[in-house]
Amino acid sequence: MSVVSEPALASAGAPVRRGSGYLRFAATRVAGSLGSLAFLLVLNFFLFRVLPGDPARTLGRGRFTTQEQLDAFNAAYGLDQPMLQQFVTYLRTTLHGDLGISLKYRVPVTELIADRIGPTLLLVGTSTVLAAVIGIWLGVHSAWRHGSRFDRFATGSSLTLYSMPEWWLGLLLIVVLAVGVGPVPGLFPTGGLHSVDVDVWSFAGVLDTAWHLVLPVATLTLAYLADYAMVMRSSLLDEIGADYLTTARATGLREAQVRNRHAVRNALLPTTTVVALNIGFIVTGAITVETVFSIPGLGLLATEALSVPDYWVLQGTFLVSATAVIGLNLVANLVYGLLDPRVRA
Amino acid sequence: MLDVLVRLAGRGRRLRGGHDGQPSPSARRLTAIGAVLAAFAALVLAALPGAAGAAQAGTVSSDSSGDTVRFTAGILNEVDSFNPFLGIEAESFEMWSLMYDSLVTYTQDDMSPSPGLASSWDSSEDGLTWTFHLDDGVTWNDGEPLTSADVVYTFDRILNGTVEKATWGSYLRGVSDVSAPDDDTVVLTFTKPSAVMPLLPIPILPEHVWSDVSSSKIRSYANEPTDGQAVVGSGPFELVDGTAGGSTYTFEANPDYWQGAPHVDELVYRVYKSEDPAVQALIKGEVDYVSGISALQVDALSDEDGITAHNADSPGFDEISFNAGSVDLDTGDSLGDPNPAVLDPAFRYAIGLGIDRQQLVDKVYQGAGQVGSTIIPPAYTTFHWEPDADDLAYDPDEAGTLLDEAGYTMGDDGLRTLPDGSPIGTLRLYARSDSQTSVDTMTYFKEWLADLGIESTVKAVESSKLTDVILSGEFDAFQWGWYVEPDPDSMLSYMTCDQRGNWSDSWYCDAEYDKLYEQQRVTTDRDERAAIVQKMQQILFEDAPYLVTAYNTVGEAVRTDRFACFEPQPAETGVWLFGYGVANYLNMRPVSEASDCADDPAALQPTGSAASGASGASGAAGLGTGAWVGGGVVLVLLVAGGAVLLLRRRAGAEDRE
Repeated sequence: MSVVSEPALASAGAPVRRGSGYLRFAATRVAGSLGSLAFLLVLNFFLFRVLPGDPARTLGRGRFTTQEQLDAFNAAYGLDQPMLQQFVTYLRTTLHGDLGISLKYRVPVTELIADRIGPTLLLVGTSTVLAAVIGIWLGVHSAWRHGSRFDRFATGSSLTLYSMPEWWLGLLLIVVLAVGVGPVPGLFPTGGLHSVDVDVWSFAGVLDTAWHLVLPVATLTLAYLADYAMVMRSSLLDEIGADYLTTARATGLREAQVRNRHAVRNALLPTTTVVALNIGFIVTGAITVETVFSIPGLGLLATEALSVPDYWVLQGTFLVSATAVIGLNLVANLVYGLLDPRVRA
Repeated sequence: MLDVLVRLAGRGRRLRGGHDGQPSPSARRLTAIGAVLAAFAALVLAALPGAAGAAQAGTVSSDSSGDTVRFTAGILNEVDSFNPFLGIEAESFEMWSLMYDSLVTYTQDDMSPSPGLASSWDSSEDGLTWTFHLDDGVTWNDGEPLTSADVVYTFDRILNGTVEKATWGSYLRGVSDVSAPDDDTVVLTFTKPSAVMPLLPIPILPEHVWSDVSSSKIRSYANEPTDGQAVVGSGPFELVDGTAGGSTYTFEANPDYWQGAPHVDELVYRVYKSEDPAVQALIKGEVDYVSGISALQVDALSDEDGITAHNADSPGFDEISFNAGSVDLDTGDSLGDPNPAVLDPAFRYAIGLGIDRQQLVDKVYQGAGQVGSTIIPPAYTTFHWEPDADDLAYDPDEAGTLLDEAGYTMGDDGLRTLPDGSPIGTLRLYARSDSQTSVDTMTYFKEWLADLGIESTVKAVESSKLTDVILSGEFDAFQWGWYVEPDPDSMLSYMTCDQRGNWSDSWYCDAEYDKLYEQQRVTTDRDERAAIVQKMQQILFEDAPYLVTAYNTVGEAVRTDRFACFEPQPAETGVWLFGYGVANYLNMRPVSEASDCADDPAALQPTGSAASGASGASGAAGLGTGAWVGGGVVLVLLVAGGAVLLLRRRAGAEDRE
């Protein structure tokens, strides 16, 4: 792990008071993030206006017959205004927290996003946590006994799962575990987030949602195990020959203690970065899994908006997910700075 | 996987046995994760004993014991709005027709006008005044009476509105005044006779609710249930739960419906975002009906016990369209760069003989379709014109002869030339990348063109992109399709000169066709109008801006071990649901009541085990037993797991000391 050791020398010379140094560091990072946000706000508008297609024509095909009907639609949703005018309107409303009206669903985009973000967070959040925990565990044990049968099995199977298309894996789980094959009974629902007549917030409702989530979460977890397992495995392999481990062993620590308290702790940094990055992308959702299991999430909303193109939905989802990525990167940066003084330089 | 989870949960415990006796923050976090994992593992376990129950926990109850009868339909697209002024998707139209009535609706046999709220109508001699007589005693589901004032309000709102006009304006074209001389009569006055009348499928909305929705609010008015209060409507079902773009919509039967109460108590739509899971849900019994499945799925489902599947005729067609003359509408100059060959009707017609429509239906549509001919599908028996079979059959020799006659003779290099002797060049064919049918059709088309000695390239682009390409005129041919409404007026209008730059995608323009179009619009005698409409189809067939390749079908499947008595629309070959009107929502019966339609040869009869009298599982009483049993086991396992964790941890602590 050369990354960790190099910057240590740079800041070693002049001791700086911890408080002010960190504040300056934090201020730089916050300012940087705000700059990114401002850029994002502008880009967001023009990025989607260059998409091919005309919403009124896509939506109205076979329904609107006359030019008059097309004009009525465009006028009602402000699409007849000059681009610059639309941009000014966009800036004003967005800064007021209004993300516009969806052209397809004709409801405020904020409402749509509020409805859709819960399922996505639940699905992708749960499976990110599971994949990270299981993946790291697999990575640690594969690396510690690298070349062993366990290593070959764990590495092989996680890579196989990683290379499978998610929709195929999901469909396989549906056929085997939801419908049932031969002696295997159908245990889980084929799709959706909850049953129709259950109060979501009751105990039965929570249970019902968990029951519906088992297969999609399992699909995503299995698919992304390798992401964490491989990073963990390789960074731990870097540490395995290190002298401090010999020292630790010499003090009489048991092998498991050497591994968990010395080696893994040092090897965990790159994996933390991967986790932090992935958490930023949670809001974007997992489009294929949302499709296969019919989970009404944010990813699906954005994908379907592309074909219209539903400008305000695209802008809204892009703004929310990009803000989440920027925000979480900022948090990760700030935490790093707090944990490891070397990165402040 | 279970093993891994359980062991992983244990990892948290072991980590916790640190030096200092106090668990470190990170260890505590890991333990929490361990607990979550244990719960997750427990859930997996829990599902095992509950399996039998879980399999049945899905949906329907068709008991005769007085339980709620729920019909669950799997659909592949969301409702885009429950507000009838806003939505556009076919699913939305279906929901509105459950919630509201219209003055005139459609017959089940051939979708001709049929009495709705208006039990009868008459028109003046000159066709400029239409009088509709409403049924007496119809009420909204909040108890208010439905009167002619509601009809006038709805129509006026469309005539004077903005977005209101966008969806429904075409049905009221030419209307100058709407009035209600009394509670049961509505009079429409026209500026010129309208052949589309008396077709008025516009949902009639309650004035006492909608008058509160201002014209500025209407563009985002959702018209969804609030606080469990059903949406006010007059239809056979009332919307009690659901939002536009949501994944489930729940309707309850309106017991006081003026045409008689439906025979199912609850109607649930579940949105599936892809076809395979929807079909799996039908097999498992989570849904009772699916629509929009492929011919292959219909084939596979035909072997399932208790399921009836079919490819129903859908009133739509697919076509290969040529660029028949793109022009700049302001200057009249030509626009884009169409190949001179495709501008020539003789060339286009000859190509039509060089395509094998039957092979397209067999290979591209897997047999689920019919050979196409004209833009009005044969399901509309009154208006459809069918060309001579010889003119539709695959005949490359005849096509070659016609091309030779028109001057497109074969050059030395085996490629045909333009009449002036210069090479034709390469035709640019466009397919829609979002439709496999489209891509496959154009791949075949390219081969058939090559057989005739014409070079071409196929480019697949997204539909939205293709719209831009068409408007720019920079293409020679593309593949697309249309859905055709029961009245042919809209479809016919798309081929007129006025629609160029608007909905006309072929840029076709013909003076005689336009003249006939205007004529059929004001011809109120149905037979006379049909003759004109057929003549128009003949012109189109001969000028060939479109080569209509196939009439589509739509795959449907229903659990006939639970529900029966659906009647196809149109007769024999048509759809069970998602047609025009709500007849089948009133026809459908749980199998326990299927004897009602036992004597009706058109009605779908029960099959499978249900036919012998067994009834479906009762799942309407909330969460299935499976999930409850599962929940219990989860709780027990959580408590037990927690206890074990606690004990192990204590033992570990002692071990260290």
